[in-house]
Amino acid sequence: METGRDDFVIAIRSAFLKKGTQQGFSLLSLIFFSIILLILGNLNFKIINYLKITINEIVYRSSFIVSGPENFIKNNYIILNNHFNLYKKNEKNIDELNFLRGKDLSQQIIILENIKYKKLIDDYFIIDNETVAKVLIDKQSPFLRSLIINKGSKNNIKLGMIVLDEGYLVGKIVEVNYLTSRVLLISDINSKIPVSLQPGDIQAIMSGKDKQEGVLQYTKDKNLPKINGKTQVITSGAGGLFKSGIPIGEIEFNEDLKINEDKIINFHRDFSQLQYVKVLSFSKEKNFLDISSKNNAKIVEIEIKETNQQLENLRILQEQKKIADEIRVKIQKENYFLRNERVRLKNEILTEKKNNQKNKIQDEEIRFLEMNLYFGHKCRKNIFNDRYKVGTSEYRKCVLSKGLIKKND
Amino acid sequence: MIKIRQKNIIKNIHRYTPITLLYISVLNEFDFNNLGSTYFSFNFSYILIFYYSLKKSESLGYIYIFIAGLFNDVVIGTPIGMSSLIYLILCGAAAYLRNITLRPSLIKDSIFFLITILIINSLLFMSLNFIFNYELNYFDQIINITYTFLFYFLFSNLFDIFESYFVSNNNAR
Repeated sequence: METGRDDFVIAIRSAFLKKGTQQGFSLLSLIFFSIILLILGNLNFKIINYLKITINEIVYRSSFIVSGPENFIKNNYIILNNHFNLYKKNEKNIDELNFLRGKDLSQQIIILENIKYKKLIDDYFIIDNETVAKVLIDKQSPFLRSLIINKGSKNNIKLGMIVLDEGYLVGKIVEVNYLTSRVLLISDINSKIPVSLQPGDIQAIMSGKDKQEGVLQYTKDKNLPKINGKTQVITSGAGGLFKSGIPIGEIEFNEDLKINEDKIINFHRDFSQLQYVKVLSFSKEKNFLDISSKNNAKIVEIEIKETNQQLENLRILQEQKKIADEIRVKIQKENYFLRNERVRLKNEILTEKKNNQKNKIQDEEIRFLEMNLYFGHKCRKNIFNDRYKVGTSEYRKCVLSKGLIKKND
Repeated sequence: MIKIRQKNIIKNIHRYTPITLLYISVLNEFDFNNLGSTYFSFNFSYILIFYYSLKKSESLGYIYIFIAGLFNDVVIGTPIGMSSLIYLILCGAAAYLRNITLRPSLIKDSIFFLITILIINSLLFMSLNFIFNYELNYFDQIINITYTFLFYFLFSNLFDIFESYFVSNNNAR
């Protein structure tokens, strides 16, 4: 039993750790390296991104070269096939042309009406950026149904741009390199597109199922109304991912189709035959300016400049006024203070004057009293003379003039 | 002199054919992995790597296989390093089988190959689905595994014939 376990360990060790003949690295080290690459790639490590972009550019170009001979054979086979079917196709085309010519005019009218209504609802309808690209690689792996085109960020290709083939939806851009981009086809299982079924305007989500088929994944109404014949599937524009009204495919309803059965969408285009595709994005309406409006704009610009200048002057004047007001207020305050001061001083002077007068009166009184002591007897009336009565103004005059005034009587 | 040169050319063809086939199968648009039919697909790279790692390990260097895996990731759009890991695990399984086998037989090899591709495809499915959020069709995977297993018999014999042709050619000279 132990020998068996030892053999197992030895075999494993030999397989994974031993470097074989002409092997530069052991298997285990390369496995670890792959795991590290995966982890760092998942964490969006910068170096891994650069490595990925470099490998992308090299591989896409070399893959295009390697696929050259096989593409040559494939294209020749298609040309030969077309050549043999030329007569039948021609007859069919003439019939279709006659039929379509009749439809063309009414379609033009419908397009104009459509644009008018889209303007009303503010929808995306103006082609913003349109690029025609060549399909480099069309490798339909079981993991991812995608194709590589020869236009990248150098040609203004951006993530999420839609890819059309003659007006029919093919997919959207999911990876952009400098010179190449990857388009995720609508037939891929990871591709989820909001669609609308016409007639009936039934909203649904479409997912890829097979190379030429899609399937309705989520329908607003599970029990679709009874429709016999073909139903057109177009983009609904929900979520703003795609412009509404891009044709995708059709569903054929018949009586055998049960409610719970998958509704299969047959795409209009054969994705294995794509050679050139159109990559574009849509935007809302913009106001384009003609020459006269440009001139008007210039005049308006000059007016705006002048107004701005006037505004600036006004602002300066306002500043000056503000300063002058401040000075005025200051002066007013000073004035008010000085006026108060003046009134106060006036009052003080008045008080002082009154005091002086009072003092003067008191001084006169004191002088009178003093003189009264000395000369009162000369002016006072008694039985021996007929002078003045004490307290009268004549008496006072007499005392002050030292008794020299004599009564005339 | 001419004979020596011819011998060298044949030697080089013999030496580089597996690598060239691997890189063509990885880079080429016409993929053996998916021939356009809904119910038919097989992984040629798995068969090639397993056969040559088992029978003639010096023909396919691990580093070449690792780089081929990186190229495959870029072309089919899986996370970078995923195919390399899968290819290297396949190489490891083949090397283990080589070490424990005393008398090689096609049946035993093919059964071991089936078990290995079942494991590596499960690993691939789980990691892509649960870690990297890729939605894969389970039915496609089963079909791919089944046909890869069945085609192992065919390609194993073809490679045997190819190898024996060169060996006999070398010995004759």
